[in-house]
Amino acid sequence: MEAIVLERPRPPLLDLERRPDALSVTMMLVGAVGAGLGLAYVFYSLFMHGHAAFNTSSDMAWGSPIAFYLFFLLTSSGLSIIASLDTVFGVRVFYPLAKRCVWMSIIVLVAGFSILALEIGRPFRMLWALPFALQYRSPMWWMGVFYSLDLVLLCIKFWQMHRDEWHSRFTHLLSVVSFVVSVLAPGTLGLVFGMMAMRPAWYSPIMPMYFILTGFTSAVAFIIFFSSIMPRHQKPAADELYYHLMPRLFFVSLLAVIGMRFGQIVTTLWSNYEGLEAHWLSLSSPLFHIEIWIGLVIPMLLMSTNGLRSHRTIGALAAFLFMIGIFFGRLELLINGQKVPLFKGYWAGYVEYWPSLTEWMLVPAGIGIYLFLYGAGNWLLRLSDTEANNR
Amino acid sequence: MARWGMVIDLEKCTGCQACTTACQMENSRLPGEMWQDVLFYNEGEFPSGKLSWLPRPCMHCENPSCMAVCPTGATYKTEDGAVLVDWERCIGCKYCMIACPYGVRFYAEEKQKTQPDIRDVFPPTGDKVWDPPYKMPEHVQNPKQGIGIQPKNVVSKCTFCYHRISKAPKGTPDLDPNDPVLRDFTPACVVTCAPTARFFGDLDNPESNVRKLIAQKRGTRLLDQTGNRPQVYYLAGEAPVIPETRSVRKTQES
Repeated sequence: MEAIVLERPRPPLLDLERRPDALSVTMMLVGAVGAGLGLAYVFYSLFMHGHAAFNTSSDMAWGSPIAFYLFFLLTSSGLSIIASLDTVFGVRVFYPLAKRCVWMSIIVLVAGFSILALEIGRPFRMLWALPFALQYRSPMWWMGVFYSLDLVLLCIKFWQMHRDEWHSRFTHLLSVVSFVVSVLAPGTLGLVFGMMAMRPAWYSPIMPMYFILTGFTSAVAFIIFFSSIMPRHQKPAADELYYHLMPRLFFVSLLAVIGMRFGQIVTTLWSNYEGLEAHWLSLSSPLFHIEIWIGLVIPMLLMSTNGLRSHRTIGALAAFLFMIGIFFGRLELLINGQKVPLFKGYWAGYVEYWPSLTEWMLVPAGIGIYLFLYGAGNWLLRLSDTEANNR
Repeated sequence: MARWGMVIDLEKCTGCQACTTACQMENSRLPGEMWQDVLFYNEGEFPSGKLSWLPRPCMHCENPSCMAVCPTGATYKTEDGAVLVDWERCIGCKYCMIACPYGVRFYAEEKQKTQPDIRDVFPPTGDKVWDPPYKMPEHVQNPKQGIGIQPKNVVSKCTFCYHRISKAPKGTPDLDPNDPVLRDFTPACVVTCAPTARFFGDLDNPESNVRKLIAQKRGTRLLDQTGNRPQVYYLAGEAPVIPETRSVRKTQES
């Protein structure tokens, strides 16, 4: 007797007929307002004053936009790695998360690239000058290669998932390549800083590992925070993932970040090497204390027991605090590397820097782009899908 | 092919900043955009306090880290030893400014330290950052070599006055400003140096004065441990006036 195989109808590309839920609409509205206001102000300032609207200088060449960009790009890589836990390593418990993670990874990357485009002097020239230069000695060139590739691969991977092609041979191969790239990309971003021997406050072979680890942790925090504002999942598998496994993963990652950061702090404060006094100076900066106490210590305490970890609101609070902490931690890292000027004489003093209003407005711009696209994805792209037979 | 380099005799330098001014005028630099600068260091307290200074152009390194990090290849080294920026390839990422150990690269799009903003006084035409009343002729300016008034949003740096030295007669061992034939081919900071503390010549030519000075007076390079191998040498004589560090008075304040 012949078996009758019923082919499932392909779902529509966009769920336009579905009524958007209140949360998606709210996110899109808040995102549109944030991105609109932020971008309008930044464009106005750049049009009126050029990049002098930023408080960067020849002594503090890289300012807060690079820190914000780091925050977004590293989080994106972390999200992509988490998505790969299912699609590459077959850890089935992550199925309910994979598609959402890939979408989040794409849109966080888009937000980061948008900030970069506003920071860089000649963004349109970059589009042709970078690919054709083949500057293989430049870590920044490799970073550009890997992050561009990352975005393309993530888009294709999402497309495959969206078409219910989760486990075809092509998708698996694509997922493996995408995973490798999503590790290499933050790694090379770490090298952009870690290779700079002339900037002792950055110079470290550990920097790529630190970037990958903190990117992963902020990705876990992103997932915990954004899942906490979604309606509670009804499926037991999703419930187990979001409210038991992810908080544990967050706690372990936090401990790893704290261990690594503690090692960095002790090493740099102990050393007399010139340029490292920036770390002593940072002890009196609010950025350092926001990063350490608000971003690391309090979240660790909040996540330290089973009871606290499984509490939705406390988990969301810890995740939010970590995101705040690591956000300012990136800025602190940027400033520390440039605080001690390069050959300016005794009279120049240490470099003073605080972001201008134009720079701060990049924050609502970036987060607004993210929120808008997340809300749109949540409404139209069936982000909670798993593979077809698992739905 | 010559490999141009500079020798600065710190025993002769008076820290008068004439070189800085000459460079600013020759290359139409903005205030604070010090392609050539003199750095001041003071150490100790009265009665044993000491003031010293260090003229600091771009080192035009043999192995420049600014060139290695440039993602677009905008920074390049010429066959005759100068490190230049192609303003038509530069994307203004400022990575070279991060990677230069000597802090000799500049980005004009920043808040001016002096008021009024000179760019408002002499507003730019086209894509240039400003339009000063005194500037080198248009035909001498060359954005491919970072010479002249730069376009907006690119990085600028000392060119060793490449518009001058690249026209020098081939095989010339030294560009001596006292020689009327060679004066116009000599970098502006060397020409203007009143105590003749600066020398410019071919580092590969055994007959050149710069090479002899380096050999006879123990020419040293700044931060040699970076491996950048500067082509600017300092003659310190008996007085150890070359700062070994980039310190900003660390020992006094900490």
